[in-house]
Amino acid sequence: MAWLETLVNGALLGGLYGLLGIGLALVFGVMRVVNIAHGEFMVLAAYFAVMLVSLFPHVHPLFVLLPVVLAAFAVGYLYQAAIVNRVVRAPDPLAPLLLTFGVSIVLRNLMVEVFGADVRALPLGELSRASINLFGLRIGVMPLLTLVASVLLFLLLQWGLKRTRFGRVVRATADRRDIVRLFGIKPDRVYNIVMGLSLALGAIGGVLLAVRSSFTPFSGVERLLIAFEVVVLGGLGSFWGALLGGIVLGMAQLAGLKWDPNAGLLYGHLLFFVMLLIRPAGLAANRA
Amino acid sequence: MSKGTLILYCAIAGALAIAPLVLGEGGLRFATECLLILSMAQMWNLLAGYAGLVSFGHQVFIGLGAYSLFLISDTFGISPYWVLPAAPLAGALVSAVIALPLFRLREAYFSIAMWVFAEIVAALVMKTSWLGGTAGLPLKSSQLLDVDWLEPVMFWIAAVLAMGSIGGLYLLMRSSFGLGLMSVRDNDLAAMSVGVDVQKNRFIVFVLSAAGCGLAGAVSFLGNLYISPLAAFDVNWVVYMMFIVMIGGIGTLEGPVIGTIIFFGLRELMTSQLGLSGGWYLVALGTIGVAVMLLSPRGLWPPLRDRFGLQLLAVGRKAPSPLAPTALTEKAGSLG
Amino acid sequence: MTLLEVAGLDVFHGDLQAIFDLSFSVAEGEAVALVGANGAGKTTFLRALIGLIDRKEGSVRFDGDEILTTPAEEIARRGLCMVPEGRMLFDTLTVEENLMMGLLVKRSGSWTLQRVFDLFPILEERRSSLPRQLSGGQQQMVAIGRALMCNPRLLLCDEISLGLAPVMVDQIYGAFTDIRKEGTAIVLVEQDVKRATVASDRVYCLLKGRVSLATTTHNVSVADLTQAYFGT
Repeated sequence: MAWLETLVNGALLGGLYGLLGIGLALVFGVMRVVNIAHGEFMVLAAYFAVMLVSLFPHVHPLFVLLPVVLAAFAVGYLYQAAIVNRVVRAPDPLAPLLLTFGVSIVLRNLMVEVFGADVRALPLGELSRASINLFGLRIGVMPLLTLVASVLLFLLLQWGLKRTRFGRVVRATADRRDIVRLFGIKPDRVYNIVMGLSLALGAIGGVLLAVRSSFTPFSGVERLLIAFEVVVLGGLGSFWGALLGGIVLGMAQLAGLKWDPNAGLLYGHLLFFVMLLIRPAGLAANRA
Repeated sequence: MSKGTLILYCAIAGALAIAPLVLGEGGLRFATECLLILSMAQMWNLLAGYAGLVSFGHQVFIGLGAYSLFLISDTFGISPYWVLPAAPLAGALVSAVIALPLFRLREAYFSIAMWVFAEIVAALVMKTSWLGGTAGLPLKSSQLLDVDWLEPVMFWIAAVLAMGSIGGLYLLMRSSFGLGLMSVRDNDLAAMSVGVDVQKNRFIVFVLSAAGCGLAGAVSFLGNLYISPLAAFDVNWVVYMMFIVMIGGIGTLEGPVIGTIIFFGLRELMTSQLGLSGGWYLVALGTIGVAVMLLSPRGLWPPLRDRFGLQLLAVGRKAPSPLAPTALTEKAGSLG
Repeated sequence: MTLLEVAGLDVFHGDLQAIFDLSFSVAEGEAVALVGANGAGKTTFLRALIGLIDRKEGSVRFDGDEILTTPAEEIARRGLCMVPEGRMLFDTLTVEENLMMGLLVKRSGSWTLQRVFDLFPILEERRSSLPRQLSGGQQQMVAIGRALMCNPRLLLCDEISLGLAPVMVDQIYGAFTDIRKEGTAIVLVEQDVKRATVASDRVYCLLKGRVSLATTTHNVSVADLTQAYFGT
């Protein structure tokens, strides 16, 4: 029974993991860039949230999500416009990789200098400890809400991409960046918005993760690796696959921790590596 | 290599040989560190600049090399100097094994998967008590070392590693293997179509760079007489290697030398002169790296080289020049 | 009324010059053929006109305005549109979504989704299909329809018969009469010289980046064309 509970809670954690990965997947899907700094931006969002909470103690902490998400969008837009757009078209595939790695170093160490290396968290008081009884299993309320939020965001993203005009524009730009200009679309602007969305989604993930566990300026690496594993596990190019990948990773993570409480992310990493060996195309892969 | 460069190389080698007699202990330690980091940077450069593979997990080989030195030396009570060859061997072995799954991945996926692998190894080491756990291991066999000679010997080993890696890479790149390698970097599909065995070349380079980093890591921690997993598997090793190569000039042999000079110059400037903490130094390093990527993507050496026509360790080749047009038209008449 | 006036155009691919001192013109409602062998520079010329190639010198006037340095997004909005070589459809968009992309340039005109469906009825049937589910000919129809939805004043068509069965090509060229009825000018780039000249008023021939022949299609002889095409 305890194991079932662990697996269920792992699946709930998976919702959060999926959220961490979806931003990375979006940027890669549209512009073929892996934003190595994605993790650091998530941590930055968490610091911003902590700052807002301390400035406005009377407001419920979850309400800070709105300004944080808006700020993250703006930061993403500027980041793309000022920096990433310059290497998106580079013939060298190493360029965006090295560039975003460089940005991650700058952000990480800036955060150390500005915020200090102490551990922080975003306390929600009662809510973070609350749990309900579902079919005889103890399920945390926050994890459940997080999974619901993740699924809703995934649905929203899918609806946005499939049914709105802007979604069509994004898909067309991802398909053929040059040809889309023949229809009056500036690919750079599309990329700016996509990066903004990516960091906004990452910010939600970052804040929710900060509620669940503590963080330091060095937590970005963890988040990037989780996001990456989620995307690869789910299969490149599959959005819902990222959620599925997150769930599998979450279950492996919690099961591993139950067995070996000091393992950190080890079991998640191991699962990823094993998957890489036996099924490199990912769980949801249906493409050749 | 031109005569001038060869003379320069020998002169530097000579200077390095007598350096321990000239430099004080602090200076010697600093110089050793410079040479080791330069070696590591050349290894990363070999992989990224010549084989086109970016590894964000190369710190794993540094750590594995160092740990194997400590383990074997302490367990069997052999002087560390004799155990040193085990370090590159450890790097080579591990890299050979993980190359199998990892080579299926391209570009960013390879890079991050290497990082995940490094994290796995680090986590496993930290959990293992006989490896010292999170606290690490002291070098017990240090009693077998003559402490007076430790610094100079470390320096000489580092010097041999640095000069050797530069010289060795030069020879490698000038060989037919090197030519094949550079064709793979530029366009692997085209390379395959002319018969270059892409996977084999990449594999050899991967193993070589892992071995080199293993040795450099072992020497580095040998000098400290102590190893801890957080220091051994720190991703900052890759940060240093990467920035030195990027700033200096990826895919050139001279670039990492310039990058190393800037790296240590900046560090001394910021920490000693300006008294800033290490975090600011990394911020500066990262900012310069990003700026170089945006403004001068090939690094600082290629523009310098092109501007002043310098050729120190050029490994490129010139295509044979086309026949002069007049020669052909003269022949045309005689061909009727 | 001259719609497109090109004078002294040089176009570069990196360090290599691909087009040399080219002069070219298209009048309102005219159909002009541009022929030449592979590598003569036809596609490069079109891409330079439409704004997808940056390195160019000379003069390109569209409806009186100089557009040499105008960005591609803006050129499309002015009514100069292209059916690219190889169709270049958006692979993750359906037929209907591909066609709707034309609306984004916000030009007014008679081409609507329904009119495109009237022109190519098979597309209405397959409106929810993805490009990879269509035949080559159907994909070509989508590519043309997509450009028509921009309501262009001048339509550049790059090798639209390439890889298609003759029956299919007949059908597509048949559609051009309707297109021309709207007053749209057309540039037809083809390797199939006969097809292109039959459908046009004037013909240019490109050879190694230069114009080797420029004349009306009425009095051009096969010999002239062959010589201009191959440079013999």
